[in-house]
Amino acid sequence: MMTENELIGKIRKLRQIKPKKDWVLLTKSQILGEETPQFELFPFFKPVYAGLLFLLLLVGLVELSQGALPGNPLYSLKRITEKVQTVFVSQEERPNLNLELANKRIEELNQIAQQNEVKKLAPAIKEVQASVSEVAKNLVTLKKVDKETVEKTKELEKNIEIGEKTLATQISSEETKESFNSFYKNQAEYLISDLEKRTLTEDQMKILEEAKKDFEAGNYSDALEKIFILSQPQ
Amino acid sequence: MKNPRKIFSQIYDRYIDKIYRFIFFKVNSQPIAEDLTSETFLKTWETFKNGNKIENPQAFLYKTARNLVIDFYREKGKVQIVSDENPFIPDPSQNLEEKAILRSDLDQIRQALTNLKDDYQNVIIWHYLDDLPISEISHMLDRTEEATRVLLHRALNALKNEVEEG
Repeated sequence: MMTENELIGKIRKLRQIKPKKDWVLLTKSQILGEETPQFELFPFFKPVYAGLLFLLLLVGLVELSQGALPGNPLYSLKRITEKVQTVFVSQEERPNLNLELANKRIEELNQIAQQNEVKKLAPAIKEVQASVSEVAKNLVTLKKVDKETVEKTKELEKNIEIGEKTLATQISSEETKESFNSFYKNQAEYLISDLEKRTLTEDQMKILEEAKKDFEAGNYSDALEKIFILSQPQ
Repeated sequence: MKNPRKIFSQIYDRYIDKIYRFIFFKVNSQPIAEDLTSETFLKTWETFKNGNKIENPQAFLYKTARNLVIDFYREKGKVQIVSDENPFIPDPSQNLEEKAILRSDLDQIRQALTNLKDDYQNVIIWHYLDDLPISEISHMLDRTEEATRVLLHRALNALKNEVEEG
């Protein structure tokens, strides 16, 4: 008599029955046919490349946005990249960068005025006003004396003047103008007192005297111009 | 989506032995088992290739195999096939001595299994050779688990009788 377990053991031995290996392989290739290489139309449209593609698109868009004017959908992207720029700039260089940006805004405004795009004028003027008042705020608190900053501020003032003339509107507020003026005043005051401590040639003394006169007359920016001539290496 | 060819290739590798064995016990001939096995996989591949979802590949393969075996016997009933082939050809790589021992032991149980009726064969193969749980077998047979257990018990008794008689 055979027990059930013995019988089951025997049944399990039947597992040894297997098809021939070469037949298994042959049949598989017959059923599946020749492996045809899959033609990929867009090999770059794979998840692996998605990040790279996105980055490329973004870089392209940022490049493209640099020429955008207010009112253009890409303009906000341009402003974002500028904001990012200011984050990576040191506290000392920030006033100069802000001045550059303000000059850019005015250039945009002048471009729009030339193209006669009336609809875009209002947002462009707003942009200019915002950036100019930002600059003015920074200039008042500026401690450092910097020729480049003064020159850029002058350039900005000139551009604002041009813009105001072509558009026949006021762009910078009185407050802003005062800020610029007090900035020049602070800078001139500091430089004059500094120069008085130094030994100067006769010619230099003359120029300093003239600068002082300008200063007393309230023409701070003229005074500064003269002082900068003095401080230039002779 | 994963390449269907790859998925099917995995299914093939996993089940080819089982399906071949299952058919082999029923037709008792190597060439016929090979024919019907390849037809089983070909049909499954065609279903799969056309985007039809196969929830349970194993159940699908067994069902296809069973149908093909039924068709085969139906055809055979009409046309008498005279066969003189030796039905059992074990792995040719084994040496003669091993083969002889294996043959006596295996041959006996195999013959007994082949002589069982279809339902008995199926449950024994599925449960003891393929290690399928009762729940899955009952699903494949469309019976309750209790009925499947009873069937398995009867099948085992029948096989025991066959072996002892043979």
